[in-house]
Amino acid sequence: MSVAETLTAARPRSGRTVSFLFLAIAITLIVATPFLPNYYVRVINSLLIYILLGIGLNIVIGYAGLLDLGFVAFYAVGAYSYALLASPQLDLHWPFLLILLVAACLGAATGILLGIPVLRLRGDYLAIVTLGFGEIIRIIINNMDWLTGGPKGIPRLDKASILGIQVARPIDFFWLLLVTVLVVGMLVWRLERSILGKAWAAIREDQDAARGIGINTTNAKLAAFATSATIGSIAGAIFAASQRFVSPESFTLQESVLIVLMIVIGGIGNILGIVAGAAILMLLPEVLREFAEWRILFLGLLMIFLIIVRPAGIVPRSFGPDKLIRRLFGK
Amino acid sequence: MTLAFDRLRKQYGQVVAIDDVTASFAPGLIHGVIGPNGAGKSTLINMTAGSYSVSSGSITLDGKRLDTLKKYQIANSGVARTYQNIRLFDQMTVLENLEVCFYPVDVAGTWKEVMWPPYASARRERRREKCMEILRFFDLQGYADSDAGSLPYGRQRMLEIARALVPNPRVLLLDEPAAGLNHHETAELTARLAAQRLPDRITIIVEHDMDLVMSLCDNIIVMHHGKLLFQGTPAEVQASPDVQLAYLGTANDIDDIRAAAQDRRAQLGIRARRRS
Ligand SMILES: Nc1ncnc2c1ncn2[C@@H]1O[C@H](COP(=O)(O)OP(=O)(O)OP(=O)(O)O)[C@@H](O)[C@H]1O
Ligand SMILES: [Mg+2]
Repeated sequence: MSVAETLTAARPRSGRTVSFLFLAIAITLIVATPFLPNYYVRVINSLLIYILLGIGLNIVIGYAGLLDLGFVAFYAVGAYSYALLASPQLDLHWPFLLILLVAACLGAATGILLGIPVLRLRGDYLAIVTLGFGEIIRIIINNMDWLTGGPKGIPRLDKASILGIQVARPIDFFWLLLVTVLVVGMLVWRLERSILGKAWAAIREDQDAARGIGINTTNAKLAAFATSATIGSIAGAIFAASQRFVSPESFTLQESVLIVLMIVIGGIGNILGIVAGAAILMLLPEVLREFAEWRILFLGLLMIFLIIVRPAGIVPRSFGPDKLIRRLFGK
Repeated sequence: MTLAFDRLRKQYGQVVAIDDVTASFAPGLIHGVIGPNGAGKSTLINMTAGSYSVSSGSITLDGKRLDTLKKYQIANSGVARTYQNIRLFDQMTVLENLEVCFYPVDVAGTWKEVMWPPYASARRERRREKCMEILRFFDLQGYADSDAGSLPYGRQRMLEIARALVPNPRVLLLDEPAAGLNHHETAELTARLAAQRLPDRITIIVEHDMDLVMSLCDNIIVMHHGKLLFQGTPAEVQASPDVQLAYLGTANDIDDIRAAAQDRRAQLGIRARRRS
């Protein structure tokens, strides 16, 4: 047996059991959600929003290897797009799908806007500058009272409706978010496997060698920033529509950090990992409600534990959706 | 139709690494670049591939300036290279290391790849086929799905050359391809490089292994202190007293040069083992 064969054979067979467990939990949740009280549906909705955000940020962090700590800015762009275009604030009442499109475009534009100045930066420097960018957007929103309502935010947003069907109750948003997560997740996964996805991986591994094989790293990185920002912005628009209220408080640095944590804990560079990471970070506080003031401590301990036991995250990069499907359905 | 250096210079601050080198490299041949440590061999490769900027002078391929282009543009003009210290995409599989080289040709179809699954699988299959063919040529097909970083040192060297060959380059630059390889692996490498001598390909090999250089190269350039000391066929180089002097100070026997190369190989071997 060659070394290569030994290596592939070494992967544990227990993956199958875990895969089935994963699928079973997901299906049970989806089927049970319509029967749950609104409070729990809201928790699951915010879980789905975080998964969406995680999928977006993971493109930059996990695929291209660029540590972006300002992701929440794009989330804010999307949320305020909805808030301004569907509320009494400017007395605009655009249809939801149109706003979603506008938010996506604005998100992409902001992504490129951030991307251009930070193209030459890497590692810690990139992290600091993107962190600053996130804060700048939040401060701008805070100070443009005439447009954004400042710290008070924008209340009384329109009820969303899609092609005449009203989307207002938590359960409506559950279905909307579920479809969005599935569609976006699938497209992003296909993107990861495309030639552009491979180029992102090459940039992550060795940027200079990537240029040496003819990759225009500027364009590839801007594509990563733009796609990632688009998804963040779409998540923001849906978030605003479901809350029917936005304020700068939802877009603090802490949110950015939370999404990064989710990716790192779940499994960097892997969509399945994000689902796991989001589930843990969202459900942990619910389970530990009694010990609210200990939450951060628990999170810290969890991080340390994981870094020692599973440094690649709960679901490592090598166990992607394709592996899951193969484990589930043989071959 | 050649690769040409015209009064090429490279300075690092006060250090002159390349001093007015003028040379041209004809297609269809394998050109060897030899010279003592620090002679400027890697600097030549790095400037040609666009990894380093040129201080003055010019590099042209088929009459077109290369030195004014960005590194990725140089690669897309048909220049491929390997590095003195192996630089693979360690956490990508062996196959992916090659597939990603299709980026310049395939990137325009990214949207279609995402939105239209049959197109994506056709593209992937095409990439896979071409890359597997190259992997088979280097006897690496058994490693296709292993991470590149997990390969033994000698295989990594081969993989790096395989990656450079994916775009079927006009100019192939190899910086010490045999460094750290054992006798058997060096022999395999020599045979494979000989098979890659194509009529319109310009191959330039920087190497300390004199057996490899003498048996493989048609034309040899000897560098010394950044200057082009001598250019000629292997036989002419071996007969030149200047070259022997440059290499070993006082020696006058090609066997001594060989001994020096052995010595270096042993050093690199130690480094390679420590790395893995
Ligand atoms: N990045 C750099 N900065 C400063 N000096 C450099 C740099 N790279 C190379 N040099 C210097 O330029 C000269 C030529 O170096 P180069 O690496 O081209 O030599 P070489 O012929 O490839 O040697 P070796 O056989 O050891 O690989 C040396 O004196 C080296 O110290
Ligand atoms: Mg060198």
